[in-house]
Amino acid sequence: MAGKRAARQQDTDEQPAKASAAASVGVDDAARVLLPADCRMAAQAALKAELLGALDAGAIVLDGGQVERVDTAALQLLVLFRRELDTRGGTLGWHGTSDALNEAAGLLGLAQLLNLPAAALA
Amino acid sequence: MSAVDLTQFHKTFFEESREGLDAMEAALLALDSGATDHELVHTIFRAAHSIKGGAATFGFADVAAFTHVAESLLEEVRSERRAVDAGLIEVLLCSVDCMRAMLERSSQGQPVADAESEALRVELVQLVSGEVAAPVVAAASMVAPVSGWNIAFTALPHLLQTGNDPLRLFRELQQLGRLEVVRAFITDSAPAQLAELDPSQCYLGWELRLHGAVARAEIDAVFDWLDGDCELAIAPLAEVAVAGPVAQAAGESLPVATAAPRPIRETAAASGEGSSIRVGIDKVDALINMMGELVITQSMLSDIGEKFELSQLGRLRDGLVQLERTTRELQESVMRIRMLPIGSVFNRFPRLVHDLERKLDKRVKLELHGEHTELDKTVLEKIGDPLVHLVRNAIDHGLESPAQRKAAGKSETGTLKLNAYHEGGNIVVQISDDGAGLNHAAIVAKAQQRGLIAAGQELSDAEVAELIFQPGFSTAAQATDLSGRGVGMDVVRRNVRDLGGSVGVRSVSGKGSTFTITLPLTLAIIDGLVTAVGSERYIVPLTSIVESLRLRADAVRRIAGGGEVFHFRDEYLPIMRLHRAFACNDAVTDIEHGIVVVIEEDGRRVGLLVDDLLGQQQAVVKSLEAHYQRVQGISGATILSDGSVALIVDVGGVVRLGQRSKAA
Repeated sequence: MAGKRAARQQDTDEQPAKASAAASVGVDDAARVLLPADCRMAAQAALKAELLGALDAGAIVLDGGQVERVDTAALQLLVLFRRELDTRGGTLGWHGTSDALNEAAGLLGLAQLLNLPAAALA
Repeated sequence: MSAVDLTQFHKTFFEESREGLDAMEAALLALDSGATDHELVHTIFRAAHSIKGGAATFGFADVAAFTHVAESLLEEVRSERRAVDAGLIEVLLCSVDCMRAMLERSSQGQPVADAESEALRVELVQLVSGEVAAPVVAAASMVAPVSGWNIAFTALPHLLQTGNDPLRLFRELQQLGRLEVVRAFITDSAPAQLAELDPSQCYLGWELRLHGAVARAEIDAVFDWLDGDCELAIAPLAEVAVAGPVAQAAGESLPVATAAPRPIRETAAASGEGSSIRVGIDKVDALINMMGELVITQSMLSDIGEKFELSQLGRLRDGLVQLERTTRELQESVMRIRMLPIGSVFNRFPRLVHDLERKLDKRVKLELHGEHTELDKTVLEKIGDPLVHLVRNAIDHGLESPAQRKAAGKSETGTLKLNAYHEGGNIVVQISDDGAGLNHAAIVAKAQQRGLIAAGQELSDAEVAELIFQPGFSTAAQATDLSGRGVGMDVVRRNVRDLGGSVGVRSVSGKGSTFTITLPLTLAIIDGLVTAVGSERYIVPLTSIVESLRLRADAVRRIAGGGEVFHFRDEYLPIMRLHRAFACNDAVTDIEHGIVVVIEEDGRRVGLLVDDLLGQQQAVVKSLEAHYQRVQGISGATILSDGSVALIVDVGGVVRLGQRSKAA
């Protein structure tokens, strides 16, 4: 299982470096995942692989600050990620959320399921 | 078409609701007659509950609101917090009527709530314990235009692949009004493990509220391309009581709002015009079986036809016999699809009787028999009114008041029996009461007054009974709203005749009367015996034939007045010479050389003299009236296999002609 995940991650090495934008997160040992600027369908296989890899970390911080384009499938991916994380006892935090992300999550009523910062709901 | 166009289910909803209301009514009446059955209460509750649910789902807020209150009341009965009494049943019966009327109006796209329903609703609210009646606010909300919509939207997994993104849909909805996501959820079909998720599949669902005076059609337009890609339910926000200014604003926009969906509704109504029929799956299966047989026979025959040799004649004959049998069975199966139990008509009578009892202060016990007897749907639809009339007559005129009955030494409660059964190829429906019977003297007096018969004319009981079927005849001293307006029995007879049936009455003074309606099983096709009379062909319906026989000349007796009778099974039957009745040339006039076909109608028999019997054939009945004119003794015409026209003998008419000649 783990080997499979690793293999998948190798396939998606062109992902932007993930640590760069996650400097100011309180939880130091949290795994950080940077959401790409275009989160739409084409990017989701890679994103999914990355999220799967992060599942074991326990505490995870998502960086959505650079998200410009997002669709329902992307948010669904994140919602299911959060759900699985919950069942494993992990926590999801956010480091930066773009307007596009907030707007889409708000419109679809998924902000709560994504544990988005309350301010973003406005 | 939008994803789930609920209007397509409206017709079903109305039909089911009507059935539910019928069940409610029947159970209420059963309760009224003293039955204390928990199951009855449950039946009533369940019916109300499903109507409420359906009405809410399909956006009939007024119906839902009304049914909700009725349901609350029923809940109290169900949980035994309220006792069942006559008053309660009366109110609930009224509610059933009211709901029926509301559904009727909904189905026609008219405003649903009216003053009557509102008054009744308030009454129900007051009855429901602990609930304070709030008629004014409620009334406003009931007639208020839609202030918003509840939208339940659940994506099917492949939704995203069709290029439809809920995000875009929601943006469009946002353009229409304020969109509120009440709940967003992951569907049960979503994979438990993230690893198994295919990002291109969608496993999300939403409960949305769209606030504002938005037309249904506008919402439908948003979901227009999602047919089959999601589960969708749209219902108006029912419980929102609109405050003054908002209501006004909404009210102003109402015409716009309703103007848009109107065409949809009308087309739906127009396409639904051809009434539907519910068919049991067993009947459809039988049909499919027959169809299979037919295909097999067809392939066998075409096989023979391809390389035909004279030696195969036997096989060809066998095939044709099989084809004939299959065709006949197929026809029967198809006909059976149109057959519905008469119970659906009978079911309305308990209520009618209940109401009439109150109104006329009489006591009636209604007995229904043979509810499962099946009738052609067309016949069934048209027999309702005549039956209602006969039942009303029986209670109004036939049955006496309790006091009169007691004086006559009868039980105070009169009995009204409705019975339906098969007899030969006919359906017989009988309405019998144990009342006073026909008032011989009053009928004769009335007939003389109307100039229908000459003064001093002696009439037999049968002839007197016949008089009540004359147009404009009524003996009721005063016209009640029930009967006695002189439009009645003649209309009943005409309606029944239009269905190819007949109606008669037998009455015993002081013992009661029995009305008998005889109807053909189906209107379109009859089994007939083709007979030759001269160069003409006449078809005698097989179902009314008792026997065919050749008479010796000495078996025929001449009676005074030129009539002929012959001895047949302990009675003398008149002989009708068909060639004489229908003026045919070159016919056999010597009884010894012809054949006598004994036919029966209403227990009366006549012998028809024909030249010869040609065989049995199914005849598709064509109206003679429509193509030519009504001819006495002829019920229609048909086209024979050789293309010539044959006339179908109207057995009832011929028997009457024959009986007259016997009496003469």
